[in-house]
Amino acid sequence: MIEYLLQALTPFHIALALGGVIAGTVIGSLPGLTATMAVAVLVPITFTMPPASALILLGAIYTGAIYGGAYAAILLNTPGTPSAIATTFDGFPMAKRGDGDLAVTLACLASVVGGLVGALFLLLLAPPLADVALAFGSVEYFWLAIFGLTLIAALSKGNLLKGLIGACLGLLLSTVGVAEISADVRFTFGSEVLLGGIDVVSALIGLYCIPVLMDLVATSDKHLKVTHAPRGFRLLESLKISWRYKFNLVRSSVIGTLVGILPGAGGSIAGLVSYSEARRTSKNQGEFGKGAPEGVQATESANNATVGGGFIPTLVLGIPGTPPDAVILGALLIQGVRTGPNLFTGEGSIVYTFIFGLILATLLMLPTGLLIGRYAYRTIITVPKAMLVPTVAFMTIIGTYAIRNSISDVIIMIVLGVFAWILNRAGYSPSPIVLGLILGTIAEQGFVQAWTIGSATEDLMGMFFGRPISIAIVLFIVFTLSYPMLKAYLVRRKEKSHVA
Amino acid sequence: MSPEQGQGSQGIDLGGIIVAAALIVLGIVALWDTTNMADADSFVFPRMVAISMIGFCILFIALQMIAPSIGTNEEAGVVGGSSLRRIGLVTAMVLAALLMPWLGFLVSGALSFAAIMLLAMYDQWTPFRRLVFPVVGIVIVAGFYVIFAELLLVPLPVGSLFG
Repeated sequence: MIEYLLQALTPFHIALALGGVIAGTVIGSLPGLTATMAVAVLVPITFTMPPASALILLGAIYTGAIYGGAYAAILLNTPGTPSAIATTFDGFPMAKRGDGDLAVTLACLASVVGGLVGALFLLLLAPPLADVALAFGSVEYFWLAIFGLTLIAALSKGNLLKGLIGACLGLLLSTVGVAEISADVRFTFGSEVLLGGIDVVSALIGLYCIPVLMDLVATSDKHLKVTHAPRGFRLLESLKISWRYKFNLVRSSVIGTLVGILPGAGGSIAGLVSYSEARRTSKNQGEFGKGAPEGVQATESANNATVGGGFIPTLVLGIPGTPPDAVILGALLIQGVRTGPNLFTGEGSIVYTFIFGLILATLLMLPTGLLIGRYAYRTIITVPKAMLVPTVAFMTIIGTYAIRNSISDVIIMIVLGVFAWILNRAGYSPSPIVLGLILGTIAEQGFVQAWTIGSATEDLMGMFFGRPISIAIVLFIVFTLSYPMLKAYLVRRKEKSHVA
Repeated sequence: MSPEQGQGSQGIDLGGIIVAAALIVLGIVALWDTTNMADADSFVFPRMVAISMIGFCILFIALQMIAPSIGTNEEAGVVGGSSLRRIGLVTAMVLAALLMPWLGFLVSGALSFAAIMLLAMYDQWTPFRRLVFPVVGIVIVAGFYVIFAELLLVPLPVGSLFG
């Protein structure tokens, strides 16, 4: 092991890790540019490198991009990447009250801890944990997607039904275009614009960013209310908060790693599950959604932990855990590296050097993340509104266009944004809609496959409700949906007993 | 919108009901559209989702009629403000996208940037701002063009008028 560690610490690998983290963080911070895109765009650079070096660079870009998504989530209420959706819940309220610098530093610390936990799981427990991914069949993925949607609906406190309606709308929007399974054209109503479907990232930009821009341009109020002089990184304060909520940090990181192992689940579900757990177990439940540091911590540690978690099935089974993992897997195949159960024994020098490189990149994320975060925060609070609004609007247009080189996507993004602004007025949150769009494909594939098998075997009920993991997830769903009502009932009962 | 927003006020949630009613119509249209699909694999999932959405919307409206205090909402986002500027922003963005094939990315981007800058300007146009803001705007548009077109190799539209 020591030799692999030393291999990872060569000046060349340190430079690769540093460059990768910086590039990833910058790309991930731009709405529209996801971690997948960051990795995909920079993959060709790695073709001439040795496999371990290539992996270190790609891993560093990936981990940096996941963290970079937090900046736009905290400072603009627009998740830079889908995995930062839950970061907006408390990150943006913190920024609105003048604690954006604290939120950015907290997110950086949490991302580093999450990334380290994920990498340690990858280092120590990869082969046994990879079996977890194999235990999940189509029906389990369907229920997992539904679980993610019920979680986000339940997080819209007092608005469970609106959250569920939004989730259904998102799922329905995900079916627009050519069906993946049967190639039928669905819900396009003859329009060629809708033929390609609604791109998730375009929708994410529109649903989150356009309402913010529409409100920014409408008044002379400052974007973020900052009444005090710059307070530096606020690192000591962040460290104290992180230490106070250390269990939240570790729990969220472990959740992120475990969810990351499940192919397709990704950082958005990991962030939501850990956010929900953080809120459920917190003594300050009332603060969640109003700028609770624990919320930012939970999401950011979880989504960065999915990086290490996602590499477990990728390297051990050859099944990519997340979309960026799929790109990295492709790069590995080009390099001639065969992933599989024997990789850790047969190609130990590549795998272990990479894992130590990933740990190095995660540690380097602390200074680079803090510096870039501070710069991003100062830019957002000092730039005049007349420059900020057109710049962000311009970024949304170019970011959306770049995804599929499609002007139709830009129009869809703007239309969805206006729609989200109207929905916001009526109290419908964009988060369930976005998550419905993200999870729609997984949910549909799982549902249709399970439905087909269940119909063929004439045991639909058994297919959907008869498998142990499915039953466990369904129970979680029931608990998630009934928890707010149960809690309200218990509070009422407690109040009554006090009065009596 | 944060998860805590959109709750708390008393009385009937009219906005929520109107949106729910609109989504019932959307769900019915979606259900009707699934009748044109030949393969069961194509319609089984959207039908289930559309029916669920209609069911949740009906439940929401019914609950509002029976017990308006459950799940009521307060408005999210900025209340009031200039609607004209909002419409102007959306129009500038849509025009930028629509004109891109003709004017190209750089020209349509620069024009929309300038239009949105004017819409978002609440301070006085001092000589310094008149000089600096447009220059910075051009630098930002050109900078993004270089990043996307040259570094990330995104084929941005050149514009049929110039190409």
